[in-house]
Order: sequence, then C-alpha cells, then structure tokens
Amino acid sequence: MLGAVMTLLLVVLSLLADFFSPTDPQKTNMSASFTPPQEIHFIDSEGQFHFRPFTYKQICHIDPETRVPVWREDTSRRYPIRFFIKDWKYRVLGLSFRWHLFGVEQPGTVHLLGTDKFGRDLWGRACRAGRISLAMAVFAAVISVTIGSLVGVVSGYYGGWVDSALQRLIEFLRCFPQLPLWMALAAIIPRTWDSMHVFLIMAVIFSLLSWTVMAREIRGKVLALREADFVLAAREMGASDWHIITRHLYPNTVSHIIVVLTMTIPEIILAESLLSFLGIGIQPPLISWGNLMHNAQNIQTLGSHPWIMWPVAFILAAVLGFNFLGDGLRDAADPYSTA
Amino acid sequence: MDKTDDILLEVIGLKQHFITRSGWLARSKRCVRAVDGVTFSVRSGEVLGLVGESGCGKTTAARAILRLYEPTEGQVWYRSRAGQRVELAQLPKKALKPLRRELRMVFQDPFSSLNPRMTVKDIISEPLIIHRMARGKQLDQRVADLMEAVGLDPAAMGQHPHEFSGGQRQRIGIARTLCSDPRLIIADEPVSALDVSVQAQVLNLLADLRRRFQLTLILIAHDLAVVEHLCDRVAVMYLGRIVELAPTAELLGRPRHPYTEALVSAVPPADPDVHPEHISLAGEVPSAADPPPGCVFHTRCRYARDACRKHVPELIEPCPGHRSACLFADELDLRGASTGQQPRTEGPPGSTAMGR
Repeated sequence: MLGAVMTLLLVVLSLLADFFSPTDPQKTNMSASFTPPQEIHFIDSEGQFHFRPFTYKQICHIDPETRVPVWREDTSRRYPIRFFIKDWKYRVLGLSFRWHLFGVEQPGTVHLLGTDKFGRDLWGRACRAGRISLAMAVFAAVISVTIGSLVGVVSGYYGGWVDSALQRLIEFLRCFPQLPLWMALAAIIPRTWDSMHVFLIMAVIFSLLSWTVMAREIRGKVLALREADFVLAAREMGASDWHIITRHLYPNTVSHIIVVLTMTIPEIILAESLLSFLGIGIQPPLISWGNLMHNAQNIQTLGSHPWIMWPVAFILAAVLGFNFLGDGLRDAADPYSTA
Repeated sequence: MDKTDDILLEVIGLKQHFITRSGWLARSKRCVRAVDGVTFSVRSGEVLGLVGESGCGKTTAARAILRLYEPTEGQVWYRSRAGQRVELAQLPKKALKPLRRELRMVFQDPFSSLNPRMTVKDIISEPLIIHRMARGKQLDQRVADLMEAVGLDPAAMGQHPHEFSGGQRQRIGIARTLCSDPRLIIADEPVSALDVSVQAQVLNLLADLRRRFQLTLILIAHDLAVVEHLCDRVAVMYLGRIVELAPTAELLGRPRHPYTEALVSAVPPADPDVHPEHISLAGEVPSAADPPPGCVFHTRCRYARDACRKHVPELIEPCPGHRSACLFADELDLRGASTGQQPRTEGPPGSTAMGR
C-alpha cells in the first residue's frame, strides 16, 4: 500500500513536473549559481506569525578572506508563497499552460532544493528528471519482462534440449560482471548520437541484461504448471501448444510477471542513475536523477554545495516505492498468505 | 465372443514403460512397467469397469489409450463415428486431433483439472473453441444446455471454479467432457476425490448421461462398490496387467482370480447382519520397476504354489466371457460377494476358499 502510494506520487510528480515547479528548470541564471535550499518561513524576523508561508530574498556575499560565496537571507524582502498561480509557460500534450501549484511573485524565488551550477532550480529539475528515469526503467523493464517471460515459457514448456540451451545461455549472460559490461556497452554508443537515441539504446542494453531473472522465474512456474491436470485436460481435448501456452500457462503466471516487473524497475533505476552519474548514461539536454548529480563527483563541489545530492532522495524513494509495491503485489498474488 | 462390428475400442497388448534415470555417473536406467500388456475390448454402449488398487496402472492405461502418453507397445483400435477402424497408438498427431472429440476423459481430481483462472463458461466451452465447433450465441446456448444436463445452474456460467464444491466441480468437468459430443468417455476415478454423499449423485449422473447421450463408458475405480451398479463388465488390474475380466455379476459372484476374491471381500455388504470374512492382502504391491517373476501376484497370493513363481499365467478363458490370469483359475474355488445366502456349493466344504 505504502509502495503504491510512493510510486504513484513519484509518477504524478514527474509527469506534472512543470506544474509542481515554481521556476522553469531549464532557465539558467548565473547570478544564482549554487543557491542553497531556501527556507520556507511562517514567522518573520519580527516574530510575527503569517498564515501564508513566505520566502526571503537571498543575497550573496563573497567572503573577503576565503573568496567563497556566502548566501544569507535579506529579511527586508518577503515573498509570500501563493498557490495555483500563473507563471512561466509550459506545454503538456501540445497544450500551453501557465498554472503552477505554488510560487512567488517576481522577482522572488522559491528554490526548495537550491540550484545547480547554472542557477537552475534543482527541485524542478529533479521532478522533471523523474520522467526520464522512470520512463527508462519502465520501458526497459517491459522489454526485459517480455523477453524473459517468452524465453521462460518456451524453456519450461518444451524442456529437453531447448531448455538446456536456453538455461546455458542465461548462465552465460549472468556470468558477466554487470557493471563493467554496462559501462563498456554504454561507452560504445557514439557521442554524436542525439540524446533520445542514447536513451533508447540504454533501455535496450539494460533490458537485454536483465531478462534472465524473469526467464528463470517463469520457467520454474511453467515447469510446475506443465504437469497440472488442467494442462493435461487441455491436451486431452486436442489443444495445440499455442492454445495451452496462451490460455493456460500465461494467465497463471501473470501475477509472477507483474511482481518481477515491479522488482526489475528499481534495479534499472539504480543502474541508469549509476551510469548517468558517471557521465556515460543519459546525456544532456535530457536529465535523469543520475546525471543531475554528475557535478557531485567533484569532492570540492560536493563539500561546499551538499544540496546537489538531493536527487538521491528521489532515487531512494523510487527504489523503495517499487520494492514495496512488488512485495505487496507478491503477497496479494499469494493465495496462501493470511495477511 | 463378441461380434466384431460391435466393438468400439479394442486394446491389444498395450504396454507403457517409463524409463527413469538415476545415479550420477553410472546413469543406471530403470524401466518402470506401468502398463505391461493389457488386452481388452469395449463394446459399443457398454460400461466397462477398470478396477485395481492405486499404482496398478489404471490411469496410465487410460492415458496411454488416449495418447496422452506415447505407448511403448501395443495397438489401440477404435471404430470412429465415420465408421473407420483406426489404430490410435501409431496415429499421427494431426489425424488424432479430430478423434479427440469422440474419445474423451473425465479427470479424477476436480480441483486441479479445472484451470482456476478460467470461468465455468470458458472451461466447459474449451473443446468447442479448440475444435472450432461453435462460437458466440451458439456457444453460450450449448454451455447452458450442458450445465443444465449435469445439474448446474446456467446462471453460474461466469463464475470461477473455486466458487463451487467438489461435486459441482466434477459436474463442470463432466460437462466439459460432454461438450465435444463424445462417443467414448474414460472416467478416471471420477468420484474418488469426492465425499461419499456426493459420490452416488455423480455416479447416478454418469449413468443418466450415458443413457441419454448413448455413451460408451470406461469407468476406472479402485473400489468395486463403485463399479458394481454401473458396469456391464469389469476388468481387474494388478501391477500393470489385467488379471480378470468378466461380466460384473459373474466377477463379483464367482471370481476366478485370488486377487479379485480379496477385492470382492473388501466390499461391505448391503445387509448389516452379514459379516463376511475379510481377506486382507499381506504386504505391499511390488514395484513395477522390478516385478516378481512368474505370476506377479504370487507374493501376496494365499493360494500361491511353486508353479506360480515360475510360470507367467496367460489370460485364459475358463468359462465363456470370463477371463482370468491365474494358473489355477479352474481349480480354485474362490468366494464371491456375500449376498446373505449360502455360498455356492460347487467346491467341497472346507476347500481353500472356506479354509483359513
């Protein structure tokens, strides 16, 4: 249940990313480079309570001794946060909208999670990055599950040398150390390709390496089902292999397939963010949770601007959410559970 | 003994051996002779019972006849609706498919033989779909008719099997079998998974349907009481072989094989005042992988003699229509079912059957 809520929340957040972000995530503002997360206040500097939350203007000082920019709040400039306001324009499904869940009036800012090197709002970018990260994960997981269940059913149903050959192939694929293989495969994608192609190829790479889990799982299930009386009954009626697979075996493995699907998604999210973090995954201008943190590789940057690690929280939430969801679905699909 | 044109199914020397491999390096092969030379025939319209204790090969024989297994040896001749005599054991799969409409099976376990994910309508109509016999409204009508015929409410068509009781589920299984308009049904212990109170209902239903649809029935059971009322003839199997085959009344009243005698003695008589001696068989059924030499029953037979350990008995016909695979079928005077009357007076009193 918790898993479903978390997952749904993240999906909505990424799909309607622009609606939830008060600042255009693509707008650069070099004067706001590495702004720390802005605080939301209810009580102003005079100790007065305001029902409407507000932010203060942030101003930057260069420390005269260390030459390090230091941000502090200018309590004289208060920007009340308003809900459902009209601000910068965005497009959803080809339609233009100006509505946002919250925001402040110009020239105020709300950088919930601070900004990156180019002064872009990290909250907005993290929300938008969810689109790529989740889309990649779901897309790759669907391909992987399709291949995996197909191979699993064929392997389990036909048995014999077909089964042996497929199982050896799976063992061979699983022998590879995954990280170097991913890196090698991702590295051979030509840099000249546009980012959308890279996205698709990455998804294919992940799915081609992760279908083996699914295949094993489904094979086991099919091995058990193959001996079931209702399959024998279907054979007795003169059913073809195709009929038995599609009418009897597949419907009885669907619950497994769904569970493995939800378990594969977080693995791919992690793999993708790792590669993108290393800079060999998703390429700008596309943004994913991984490549948002690309700058965090530099220990100095990380030390002075720790908030650029915030996308980790999104990854964490997504992985946990899908794992919980998978667990929940597994319990729901298990006829013997009493919970 | 039979008019040949009356015979619907003729099984000749049917053998079904399973090879199991065991051992790691040596790969020793063991051959389990689940069915080892079964010969019988079924006349059109009759009900043949096939009895024997569990593991004796009844189910395997049934499945080998229907080619759910590939028989190792033997012939199965079937006279099709079109009037052709076809040999099923060697028939190519393609030619076999249309015959599967005529030769059907009722499964033993009404729980595992129905796909839990399908609705009753989908289950019953599956043969229609497979053989493209009907669709749409016609299919719905057929399913409704069949559900009524087996005593189910057609309104329950959209429900799933788990919403039904064991007896109802077996009715669903029977409706599915009837759906393709069969001529011969092999009912594989159709009631052994059911409560005793429901068993009679399902057996009566089978008897009813048989009359109504002019079916030929092979009824498999491990219990003579079940076949007693329904069958015209009964074949008794032991360790993959038929040991006795006779009309029901004769088999029960005057068994010609010691194994049958023991089975018959296990049937509780209808009269509560009669307490017949119960013959309990010593020991276990020998392994079909390593059957004893000579007569396979000699290890448990209380009349066993030296000859039984050496000679394999043929299925002889000690009297017309009654076959027995006992070397001493003529000599032994075995006791049949007690009817409350005096046992037959054929043998001298105190003969083997009465002794002990």
